[in-house]
Amino acid sequence: MEPIIETHDLKKVYRVGKVAVEALRGVDCIVHEGEFVAVVGPSGCGKSTFLHILGGLTNPTSGQVLVDGNDFKNMTDADRTRFRRHKIGFVFQRFNLLPTLSARNNIAIAQYIQGNGFNPHRFQAVVEMLGIQNKLDHRPYALSGGEQQRVAIARAVICDPKLLLADEPTGNLDTENSQTVLTMIRGLNKTFGQTVLMITHNPEAAAVADRTIHMRDGRIVSD
Amino acid sequence: MVNKLIISNILYRPVRTALSALAVAMEVAMVMLFVGLAHGLVNDSARRQEGVGADVMVQPSGSSFLLAFSQSPMPLKMGDRLEQVPHVLAVAPTLILFNTGALSMVYGIDVDSFNRVSGGFAYHHGGPFAKPNDLLVDDLYAKSNHIKVGQTVTLLNHQFNVCGIVEHGKGARLFIPLQTAEDLLQVQDKATIFWVKCTEPAYTNAVVDAIRQLLPKYNITAVKEWMSLMTSNNLPGLNVFTTVIIIIAVGIGFLVIFLSMYTTITERTREIGILKSLGASKGYIIAVILREASLLSAVGILAGYGFAAIIRKIILANFPTLVIELTVLWAVYAAVLAIAGSLLGACYPAMRAAQLDPVDALAYE
Repeated sequence: MEPIIETHDLKKVYRVGKVAVEALRGVDCIVHEGEFVAVVGPSGCGKSTFLHILGGLTNPTSGQVLVDGNDFKNMTDADRTRFRRHKIGFVFQRFNLLPTLSARNNIAIAQYIQGNGFNPHRFQAVVEMLGIQNKLDHRPYALSGGEQQRVAIARAVICDPKLLLADEPTGNLDTENSQTVLTMIRGLNKTFGQTVLMITHNPEAAAVADRTIHMRDGRIVSD
Repeated sequence: MVNKLIISNILYRPVRTALSALAVAMEVAMVMLFVGLAHGLVNDSARRQEGVGADVMVQPSGSSFLLAFSQSPMPLKMGDRLEQVPHVLAVAPTLILFNTGALSMVYGIDVDSFNRVSGGFAYHHGGPFAKPNDLLVDDLYAKSNHIKVGQTVTLLNHQFNVCGIVEHGKGARLFIPLQTAEDLLQVQDKATIFWVKCTEPAYTNAVVDAIRQLLPKYNITAVKEWMSLMTSNNLPGLNVFTTVIIIIAVGIGFLVIFLSMYTTITERTREIGILKSLGASKGYIIAVILREASLLSAVGILAGYGFAAIIRKIILANFPTLVIELTVLWAVYAAVLAIAGSLLGACYPAMRAAQLDPVDALAYE
């Protein structure tokens, strides 16, 4: 398998007023295509920063990031946006659905932003797999947390991304819905070979993954 | 899909949408009504002067082309000389007074000569002057001021008896006997203007040339030529007034849309972060916001047209002497100004949204 993620001595320093906060202090990591990786660690250990850098949402302060062979150092902000549009799918803890759109349009908008227009076959396959056929005309406020997260997963994978980045996808869900969502992410990984990198606090959630990376104080402490 | 997103955003915040559209509607209605009023009054005044029926006007030199402001009246005897000019059918001397109370002109006329030039008044009620203090008013002035024949009216600090109500369109809205006008101005045998009627309109230029030779120091103007000068562009101050009104109206639209879009961007920071996480480019986000502002403007423009028509109707029902001309040209100008103001107002919020850091935007509460 080819590595889809490679990071070398990845560092990120935030400035909060005059104080420099080192969120990442040299992260070296390789993830291969088709892997399901969980990243665990205490709050403030740099998990989310790591995920945001891998998704091209923010720049590292130093170090190298290669995702699907693309070195972010050589990419402009616009290049990373374009890369994200085609190669990355995000799932967030707070679902982050657009409140004014129906579930159907929340999923379809990703296809439109990608620029290839609406693909009804792909759409149908994804919504059936996630079991949200009957919820497509509902707005997010009319859906349960589990349903919202399933819609969010559908939106993340509708464009068939190379990499699915999930930031605490079960953090806002009860046990039953957490299990459902994890089963679905696992299913995507097993059925379609979808590479998944999932951040979680929850050891049960991490146990679903093939591999668990432990982070502490901006570093990987075990893999 | 972008349209669905824009429409759903607009419908999701109905109060903001209604207020923004209302502001644009007010902007459009304000531009159309003020410009329509300015142009309407000027054009109506011009049409009424043309309605006197004369082909040539003779005024003292240096007199303004706004008839009420002629400075030094001319001797009535000049009328006899004008009648001797070849191809002149009739000459009507008129002494023009300015009624400051109603900001209108009052014509002091000799009814016989005025009738020869104008073809005569069409009386709705009553009849011509019988006494020195008689007053003729046109139908619109009568309707506007609820005046009836036989009623006493105070005009120019003088009591007049309304002897007749005539069809509008013969120069002024108020007419008094020439002799009475002379008494009020304390002049004798004077006229502010001579209306000259040619035997055929084709002789107008010849008559103008002949009168210019006869009276080289006077201002001789063909009515057709004067009509072409009587536009709002030639009236000092009116263009400035119109421009100021347009700037205020566009300013209102700009500020409301700016505020509306600025607050909506703040409110929708997280949504913008979501779009960015999906790979929406800066151009995409700017386009969404500008299109939303344009749609708000379009709704406001249509409402503005409706408001302008309704307000015009209300104004004319209460003030029939006013003229408001709502033209297609100014409807288009008002729309262009509203859209330009809105886009300008949405520009900064759109740029700000496009520049948002996606991580900060996603973390926004």
